[in-house]
This record gives sequence, structure tokens and C-alpha cells, in this order.
Amino acid sequence: MLKIVFGDIAGAVYHPPTYFDNQYEDEWITDPLSVEMIRDIDKSEVVSANLIQSPVLGPIPVKEISGGVKTLILMAFDTSGWIFNASACGDNCAKWIMAIGRKKDLTINLHHVMDFDGVEDFEALMVNTGKTVHSYEEYLVEAISIKER
Amino acid sequence: MKGQYHIIVQNKRIHYELTIRRNITLIRGDSGTGKTTLVNMIEQASKKGASSGISVVCDRPCRALREDDWDIILSNTHRHIIFLDEEGQFIKSKEFAAAAKASDNYFVIVTREDLPNLPYSAEEIYEIHTSGKYHDLRRMYQEMHQIYSPETLSEIVNPDAVVTEDSNSGYEFFRAVCEEHNISCRSAEGKSNLKYTVSPVSKGTEQTLIVADGAAIGPEMSILYQIMKKNPRVKCFLPESFEWLILKSGQIDGNMLWDILDHPEDAIESQEYFSWERFFTALLVECTKDSYLRYSKARLNEAYLRGRMKQAILDSVEGVCWERAE
Repeated sequence: MLKIVFGDIAGAVYHPPTYFDNQYEDEWITDPLSVEMIRDIDKSEVVSANLIQSPVLGPIPVKEISGGVKTLILMAFDTSGWIFNASACGDNCAKWIMAIGRKKDLTINLHHVMDFDGVEDFEALMVNTGKTVHSYEEYLVEAISIKER
Repeated sequence: MKGQYHIIVQNKRIHYELTIRRNITLIRGDSGTGKTTLVNMIEQASKKGASSGISVVCDRPCRALREDDWDIILSNTHRHIIFLDEEGQFIKSKEFAAAAKASDNYFVIVTREDLPNLPYSAEEIYEIHTSGKYHDLRRMYQEMHQIYSPETLSEIVNPDAVVTEDSNSGYEFFRAVCEEHNISCRSAEGKSNLKYTVSPVSKGTEQTLIVADGAAIGPEMSILYQIMKKNPRVKCFLPESFEWLILKSGQIDGNMLWDILDHPEDAIESQEYFSWERFFTALLVECTKDSYLRYSKARLNEAYLRGRMKQAILDSVEGVCWERAE
């Protein structure tokens, strides 16, 4: 299930791209989920664990993929227990966050009200209030009521 | 610093163009659009100059500011355009807001956070639009006559209820206008309370118009925009400020007033006025100090509610019809 915590919390990584650059595993990059996310968000193709083909930048190392995709990959594969700041992700990452949250217990940290509009079967536990929301509208009402950012 | 600056940043593979008009500009939007790459290129070019292979064309020097010793660097940097990426938590601190306020630099900040300590404009929130190697900035929030809506508006807004950010003169003016037209009007008593006055869930047919100072509403725009997307009966009217509306009415005499209103960026010194609405208030007070229209923000001079003056202010509220729909 997806769990969302707003505001500063202990055990959170504020800038996941930095953590990713120092901790990612080669097999995370070539996993079909990462290949799909890199294709969707960055419009780039995974050539190998060490090479990505970007339509704008040409061949690039893994460290040059977007901060949003790095954060998604950490959410999907990192098992360290850190909670990652999803405010490093654009709204185009929202459906992937929900998809990862459907497969496993995923807690994310937010410092802004992410736009989950259009995400199918949205469901999340709002940790700050303890309420489970079952739609984007419910999430928005609940998120507005939470002061922490 | 004052003025508008066009910036071109490019290397062999990528080309950015952006125009900066105010002291604070935000870039947000989808992942994978090249925001971090832009800041990295600015940083490399400012450190290594032409030998970086990056060309930065701008009338002002551009540089990046990172978390390490940001306060020391900022206090020793003047009349620059400073780019900040989202990696630094310091950008949301009160200390950074105070340093930015005292600074004579312009700031371009890449972040999705609301940054409530910084009074930035709804007009200066951009996302990067990409077409091949070319990247330019587009305003995030669509507008028509300062009316903001997720869709391009084709019809005049006809409100049943008005909520103002202002609790002083601006509220008094709109309350009087609304009373005449049997429209309910209340003050949210501050921009951060606006989001609590409207619901993302549409109830009934009542159309609500939020009236707020566009010059400083930026920190609230993300949430207000999401509310408007889910509830099409909520619209925002975001002039620079109530005082700007009065100045635009054509009823105020002032030296070079129209030149200033046409190009405020050439008149407003950012170190003196952290956001533009403070400048427009000072300008209106100065222009009216020796006349029957003497303006006070705390309490509305009743002259602004009379005949031609009131109508001239309302005429400058483009896109809103105050007559109740049948």
C-alpha cells in the first residue's frame, strides 16, 4: 500500500538523486520496470546497465537520467529503509508511484501536494492524519488540511 | 536589481532560452524536462567560463548556488541571476527568504515546493517546454485577463460568491460592489487561508471567484490550481494587486504612470520591493497623497466607492461580470 507522509521526518532522504548516484545497483537499471519508467519519463532507452540512449543528450551514463526516475527506481528497489522525497518527482511520475505502491508497502515523503489526478484506482494512507483515501479528490481534501510540508 | 533579462544557455546538444522579469522565478513541472541540466550548465559555465564549452548569453552574470556556504556566497554576490536546484533544503528556510529579500540579485529556483516564505508571482511560475534540443519556458498556469483557470476561458466569469485575500481596502471595495449585486463576499484574511474557503468537490451551481494579489500568490498556486481542476466552479482573479487595479483605472494622475504600468520591471528595484504589490501600494499612496483620492491600505477612502471612480476600477477588472445571472 502507498503511504504518504507530508513534511520533515526522520529517516527521509530529501534529495534522492544524490543517494541514487552513490547506491544504485546495475540490476536495478536493466529490470523491466526501470526500463519502462526510463522510457516513459525520460523518453530514453536502456542500452545496458551502464548506458542510456537519450534522444536529446545522446548516449549518457546512468547518473544523468532524471531525478524523478532515479527516485522512482529507489522506491521500487532500494531496501535500506530510507523514505524517499517524492517531491523530487514530477506529476508524470505519479502513476508509477501508485504502481509501485500496489506491489509493496511503499512510504513516500512529500513537501508539496503532488497531483495524482488521473491515476487509476488511487488509494493511499495519509500518515499525518491516519486516514485512508480512495480517490484523488479525497486525497486533495485531506492534503489541504495537513499543515506540514 | 531591476529590468528584464533574456538568457540563452547552450552547448552542442542542448539549447535553453528564458526571459526573467522579476526577482523570483520558479521552474517546476514534469520530470525529465531538463531542469537540473539547466542549473548544471549554468554552474559549469560560471566556474570555467568559455572553456566549459557552454555559452551563456545574458546582460547579467549567471551562476548557480548550492547548499555549501550559500549564505556567505550570496552575501558576496551582487546583481547576478542566481540559479538554485531543488537539492538544497535551505531554499525553504526563513534565513534564505531574509537573505533573498536583502539581496540585489534575481533568483531562478527549480523546485516543486510551495516556498511560502517567498512572495513570488503566479506569472513567474514556469515549466520547461521541450522540442528536440530546444528548451524554453512556458507559464504553468493559463490566464486570460488575470483570470486563472485550468482551461482557456471562453466566457465571462459571473460569480455568485467572492472571496478576497485582502481584509482591508481591497475587501471593502469588493464587499461594497458585491452587496450592490447581491453577491456574497468574504475575506479569507490572508492568501494562505484561501485554499480553506473553497472545495475541490463541486457542490451545487454556485460559482466562486477568488480575488488575490497575483504578485505574491505563487506559493498558493499549486493547490488552488488543483482545486480549480476538480471544481470548475472556482476561478481565480489575480491582478498584481488591488492598488494596481486602481492605478490601471485611468483615474489616477502620476508622473510616467503608464510607462511604469506597461513595464514595471524597469521601475521596481527588487532590493527595495520584495514583491511588486508593495511597489504598487507605495506608488498609489504617493500619487494620491495630496488629493481627495488619498489612499490608505488599512481603510478604504470612500471616494473609491463613488460613481465614475468605482466604475473605472470595475472596468479594469476584465473578464468578470458583476450582474447576477438569472
